[in-house]
Amino acid sequence: MTASVLANAPSTRTTLFGASFGLMKRGLQRILRLPSAFFPALAMPIFQSIAFSGTFFAITKIPGFPTDRSINWFMPLGACMGSAFSGVGLGFALIGDIETGFFDRLRMAPAPRNALILGPLLTAWFRTVLVVTAVLVVGFILGARLTGGVLGLLTLYVASLGIATMATGWGLGLAFRFRDMRGAAVMQLGLFVSIFLSSAQTPLNVMQGWLHAVARFNPITNVLRLARQGFVGELTWSGSWGGLVAIAVMGALLLVFARRGLDALDK
Amino acid sequence: MKRDDYPIFAEGLVRHFGDVKAVDGVDLQVEHGEMFGFLGPNGAGKSTTVRMLTTLLRPTAGIARVAGFDVVTQADDVRRSIGVALQDAAIDPLMTGSELLALQAVLYGIPKSKVKQRGDELLERVGLTGAAGRRVGTYSGGMRRRLDLALSLIHQPSVLFLDEPTTGLDPMSRLALWEEVRRLNAEGTTVLLTTQYLEEADQLADRIAIIDHGHIVRQGVPRDLKAQVGAPTLVIEVPPDQVEAAQAVLLRFGELRTTAEGTLGVGLTDGAEAVSAVVRALDEAQLRMQHLELNEPSLDDVFAEATGYRLEGEGSANLPEAQGDDAPVNGDKPKRSRRGRR
Amino acid sequence: MTAAISPLEPFVDPTADHRVDRHVWAQTMAMSKRSVIAIIRQPALVVPSLVFPLFFAALGSSSFSRATGLPGFPKVDSFLALTLAASVIQGVLFGSTNGGAALAVDIENGFFDRLLASPTSRISILVGSLAGSSLFGAAQALFFTIVMMIFGVHLYGGIVGLLVIVVAGALIGLSIGAFLAAMALRTGSAEAVQGVFPLLFITLFFSSAFFPRETMRGVYRTIADINPVSHLYEGMRDLVIDGLSAGAVAKSLLIPIAIGFVSIPIALSQLRRRLKAL
Repeated sequence: MTASVLANAPSTRTTLFGASFGLMKRGLQRILRLPSAFFPALAMPIFQSIAFSGTFFAITKIPGFPTDRSINWFMPLGACMGSAFSGVGLGFALIGDIETGFFDRLRMAPAPRNALILGPLLTAWFRTVLVVTAVLVVGFILGARLTGGVLGLLTLYVASLGIATMATGWGLGLAFRFRDMRGAAVMQLGLFVSIFLSSAQTPLNVMQGWLHAVARFNPITNVLRLARQGFVGELTWSGSWGGLVAIAVMGALLLVFARRGLDALDK
Repeated sequence: MKRDDYPIFAEGLVRHFGDVKAVDGVDLQVEHGEMFGFLGPNGAGKSTTVRMLTTLLRPTAGIARVAGFDVVTQADDVRRSIGVALQDAAIDPLMTGSELLALQAVLYGIPKSKVKQRGDELLERVGLTGAAGRRVGTYSGGMRRRLDLALSLIHQPSVLFLDEPTTGLDPMSRLALWEEVRRLNAEGTTVLLTTQYLEEADQLADRIAIIDHGHIVRQGVPRDLKAQVGAPTLVIEVPPDQVEAAQAVLLRFGELRTTAEGTLGVGLTDGAEAVSAVVRALDEAQLRMQHLELNEPSLDDVFAEATGYRLEGEGSANLPEAQGDDAPVNGDKPKRSRRGRR
Repeated sequence: MTAAISPLEPFVDPTADHRVDRHVWAQTMAMSKRSVIAIIRQPALVVPSLVFPLFFAALGSSSFSRATGLPGFPKVDSFLALTLAASVIQGVLFGSTNGGAALAVDIENGFFDRLLASPTSRISILVGSLAGSSLFGAAQALFFTIVMMIFGVHLYGGIVGLLVIVVAGALIGLSIGAFLAAMALRTGSAEAVQGVFPLLFITLFFSSAFFPRETMRGVYRTIADINPVSHLYEGMRDLVIDGLSAGAVAKSLLIPIAIGFVSIPIALSQLRRRLKAL
């Protein structure tokens, strides 16, 4: 038998980024090879932006509403929801890998464990950039106006990537714990409820009653404020820092949730 | 030998799932270059043991060391040293064979410059070069198993775990896989193979352990285990007028046994080695032997003697009424057998 | 006089016509009962179509309470009063996918073949599935109305208005359920049936179910104007906020009936097609 190419090759340790990029590459291949799984994640936020801005067109007339264009208000929501479902989509894919046993193979590799979280996260980020860009293009065609300059676009992308990070942590964490499609229902429900119990549909100063009490404390409200900054006024630090803190704290907590779930698979 | 001298060492290995004791005190010492068979029915604890040894499950108690590393505290080092092909071919149907091997290579830290070459090497080895560019979802069952084996060999592990590698394969694919496993073992790879097929254990393993209800009930070389069960039966056919004379000859070599009509049988006290002596004795007595066959005790006999039931055939542990699905997969809590344990 | 004997019912006395009809009726009742039991025994499928509309209603009443004073809005006590009809339509639309999916699952797992191999009348298979959707639609309508009334919505249409809303729920369940049954019979796939859900969602959104058409503009307004769901919603809404009127009753009942006149023949034709393929 001819000597293997590995004969006399020095053994190397797998790096976190090497393994993560390998897994991200796999995630991107799935987008191309299973477009039916990705298409809803792309179509839904576009539809949502159009549907909400058309249906709730009149709310811009409510005194105190921060913009006169409903597309300016709802397009960032569509982008954020699309990002959230991009993240949760990685949770669905993980359930599939667990059910087929492929995830065991990944777990047995001597790659740093965090690569099994970072790899999917990188995929979620890539999907998010695609989704947000698509929503922006449609939004501008429908008459959306950038009021905060180019930095306004940046805050939308940052907010969307932040939501994707939270959603990925949530989705992976539930996938590790449920290990079957029941987890998918909980993922979607949790995401949906937490996004809508915020300033998703109306700003805090317009909403009344119990929702105001909840939305005030919901970190998603701050993230949406960050996302909308470029479309409902000018970019300010006071309008931004709350969202950045929410992303950092919630993102970290939910990624730890995911990592703990991964560790529990061994138990 | 010290425990680190063994590529696979386990002492008092236990794994509980709630009240269910899937593995309840397993001791193993597998030697370098050995092909070790782990034989038992569904739910015996084979896969659970393998999952502990391959760092997929934490033991509830006991010690396990693989390639000299502790499976709990040095899990990464264990993973770097072992190759594993689990019960279900763990593949991604959307990727091609080459892509899966490339991903595996990245995860095992194989230098980028060597990734493609190593992948091509393994594809050729398992006979999948022609299918390398096709999505794995289009592969047959046998092809998936071969790819699974290739994936487990990406980093040239010194220890290979194969969990029921031929379950569900057709006979030709099974034989091909056996050939490959033998080749790997001949090259020096230590192999631990779990199976519920007696023939597979008999054909491949240097030593076997029989596991039942989470315990190892017998362990040793197949030949010795069978010999312990009883002497082999030599069955002959002679012309009807020579039967009495033949019986007298046979009695010199052991107890006469009941065999099929028209034949005579003797349990050879000295084992299979006595066959030539029997033939010589029959010849010296000028008796004409028309047919001769030697029936060794089977591993199923060994299993039955150890557990009280058979692994295959009638009264089998692997028939639906005897299965208890206690062993979980993927770390799930096990399903409780409605029939209870025997 | 001899009766035509169905080859499926060899033990029926050929001199007694009424026994043939009673047998078909019994089968239909049995299939309907099965359909209803399936709904009751799978709360995980049922609860979302009860909970989500209420969730949206609660969200809407808090988010948009200040919108009721805008031009184009009808005169209402609260935004919640506007959401009752939308909740019924939403809940019944989403709930009726379960009936279609159940029929598709029967086809996928072979139970449908078992029914065909038995002397079950073919029509009872379809009617049974639709009966479940229809009864559940009525139950949902009643449920949403009671919950909303507990939260302060005044039903100006009174008992008759309530009755009309419940019957409308049943008719929506029947007519939309027929579309989904047709999908199930055509594709034999529960996944394909569930895939229709986004289309129903879109249909609901491009209507006046959430905000009055009068507040919309452009293409959106045009779509909402021609969408039958808008008119169905407005009929049921008016029963709540304005009281009983011929127009409101007509819209609430005739629109789902009209949809049914389209969807039920489609379902029957798909049933015939599937039977022919055997």
